[in-house]
Amino acid sequence: MGYAFTEEQELIQQNAREFTQECIEPMAAEIDRTALHPQELVQSLAEQGFMGMFLPGEYDGAEAGFLSYALIIEEISKSSGAVASILNQHAAMAAYSINTWGSKEQKEQYLPAMCSGEILGAFALAEPDAAPGVGEHKVTACKDGDTYVLNGRKCYVANGGAAGIYVVFALTDPGAGLKGMSAFLVAGDAPGLSVARTIKKMGLRGCQSAEIIFDNVKIPQSSLLGTEGAGLAIVAKAQAAAGVAEGAMVVGIAQAAMDDAAKYGMQRIQFKQPIARFPAIQTMLAEMATNIHMLRLAVYHAARLIENEKPFAMEAAMVKLFAARIGQNALIDVVQIEGGYGYSEDMAASRFFRDIKGVVIKNGSVDFPETVIAKSLLD
Amino acid sequence: MLDLTITPEQQKIQQLARAFTAQHIIPVDREWDERGGFHEFILAENKKVGLNCMAVPVEYGGPGYDSVTQSLVAEEWGYGCAAFATTLSGNGLSSYPLAIAGTEEQKKLYYSRLVNGGMGGFALTEPGAGSDAGSCTTVAKLDGDEWVINGTKCFATTCGYASIMVVFASTDLDKGVKGLSAFIVEKEREGVVVGAEEHKMGIRSSNTVELRLKNVRVPRTHLLGKEGDGMKIAMKTLDMARPIVASMSVGVARRALDEAIQFAKTYLDVNGKPIGRHQAVAFKLADMATQVEAARQLVRNALRLKDVGMPYTKEAAMAKTFCTDTAMRVTSEAVELMGQYGYSKDSIVEKLMRDAKVTQIYEGTNQVQRIVISGLLLNS
Repeated sequence: MGYAFTEEQELIQQNAREFTQECIEPMAAEIDRTALHPQELVQSLAEQGFMGMFLPGEYDGAEAGFLSYALIIEEISKSSGAVASILNQHAAMAAYSINTWGSKEQKEQYLPAMCSGEILGAFALAEPDAAPGVGEHKVTACKDGDTYVLNGRKCYVANGGAAGIYVVFALTDPGAGLKGMSAFLVAGDAPGLSVARTIKKMGLRGCQSAEIIFDNVKIPQSSLLGTEGAGLAIVAKAQAAAGVAEGAMVVGIAQAAMDDAAKYGMQRIQFKQPIARFPAIQTMLAEMATNIHMLRLAVYHAARLIENEKPFAMEAAMVKLFAARIGQNALIDVVQIEGGYGYSEDMAASRFFRDIKGVVIKNGSVDFPETVIAKSLLD
Repeated sequence: MLDLTITPEQQKIQQLARAFTAQHIIPVDREWDERGGFHEFILAENKKVGLNCMAVPVEYGGPGYDSVTQSLVAEEWGYGCAAFATTLSGNGLSSYPLAIAGTEEQKKLYYSRLVNGGMGGFALTEPGAGSDAGSCTTVAKLDGDEWVINGTKCFATTCGYASIMVVFASTDLDKGVKGLSAFIVEKEREGVVVGAEEHKMGIRSSNTVELRLKNVRVPRTHLLGKEGDGMKIAMKTLDMARPIVASMSVGVARRALDEAIQFAKTYLDVNGKPIGRHQAVAFKLADMATQVEAARQLVRNALRLKDVGMPYTKEAAMAKTFCTDTAMRVTSEAVELMGQYGYSKDSIVEKLMRDAKVTQIYEGTNQVQRIVISGLLLNS
């Protein structure tokens, strides 16, 4: 199927496919089982240029555009949703925000190290008492001379504990509510920053989720990302970009799962024929294939908008909405086709079933995608 | 909520099961999901309150509850833990072949084990015979006054712990489905070997094993019904079991709904309002609750037909499909609504979602149910 890729995009996709087969596929089940951050693998991702795929060349990025990035996320997701999540939190949430809002000094300080894999990025937004939305913020940043002092607790921080740089959201003006929320760049080894615990999850295990405590963390004034009060805008934009990549994750996971179910369906003989020959099974596969194709087109379209610096909030929300609608259903059907075997913990189908849910849940979104889409229509 | 459509006696048992679930199951549901071991101690408690073998008739020492009562209890178990509910409803299921085709002697043998706290097993599925039960390759041959059974069963629920089982084997391979027969096999018979245990995505503390039968000899009188009656017995057994699985699934869905409601009331949005005040969330809860209620009424209707002796095969299959699909949908929506918290193991809804998936698969996949329903629609 042709998707009007450039030669470069095709090469990047092919390379990501081969790398995934060779280096991620053999480890994927183990990463899920141990739920440990795969540090060596992350280093190999950096060597492939994946960590800075869409970042500018002047900061050592591959400058290959957001569509190329979506393509590698899709390929990696075919083997491991967890590894794709690690990359996406690093690139589309943390690095993307620094590149979009950062000063020249901030970019020079962090982006080359983020491209080389020297430091991993994380996005610390949600708080324990405020799920699933951004919620009531209690992490505060008080100005004290030339420094800000951070205090409070963040929850569900993906890459938490493994990250070298956190984009932390804190209130600089608690009286103003979320309008008083600002973003800060905080090093992983900053004194006062500690990991309270890692959180066990249903899936995406290996993409570590942690609760992070900020206890009088002193950071220089130059750590402020953008301006005071810009927090909400930074979150919205990063979540929209990352949401497009999450659409690519759903495409990758669902595609791999569907291929697995189709293969199983041809091998599994019941009533003297492969079950894939039954119209009931074919209907499920056809539905999945159609939905995956539609989602893929929407993802590529939104990714092209991002790389051409066009408005993309509505298209990103559509990707999110459609991915949530079709992603889990595809996996419910895949496990159904594979029956008792697919339900086994040892089979890829059950891992994909658990992983895809983690991609389509509302990851602390500021707005429901429906609201974003409606807003674009009505305003 | 008081349900006025059930009798005071049924309400009493429902309350008993609800209290049992709250006291013995819910406090340990997460722990047993993670550990994955068999929940024997809950069974022991369950026996004390008299809910361990609900299907056994009064004349054999059981409580002899009607179908509606059994389904009320199954819903409460499902509310607590689908793995535990699977063990207990599987126990009931294993005894249905006796109610369908058992002689006086056979009933005494089988029921007495259950009444005394032993677990029952039901071994039908084989590696090559799932939905297609007629492809069974386990064989039983008559040798003098004994049947000699050879073969391998898989996905056998509770069979690692069962004291007595109903095992399906072909007495005439050439006849396919019509050569299938059902036998009572005690655990202690020589040659009964419990094989590998399945590691499942959900219902993890339910015991699912491979069962190997190597020259297992049972008396001639252990054949249920006649030779070749196996498929008929299996189908009637599953007819009886479907509303129970359906009820259990209603319980799973109801738990997810309750968790989601609690969350929607407690968690605050960006403006400090509980998220339940958002119409998008509130309507979602309304839809979830409507589905749970519809599911419950569908199974209730099938059981009323059964209890007055009317045909209920189609309604039971409809209930199984709808209730288990509802459990899958509602648990999935609960996780989505609860976001990162719902996806984490700090909350129970991710377990409910993993558990719900199997209900669409076992005791006749929902595709098999549709074969049953459409068959009755088109061939009557």
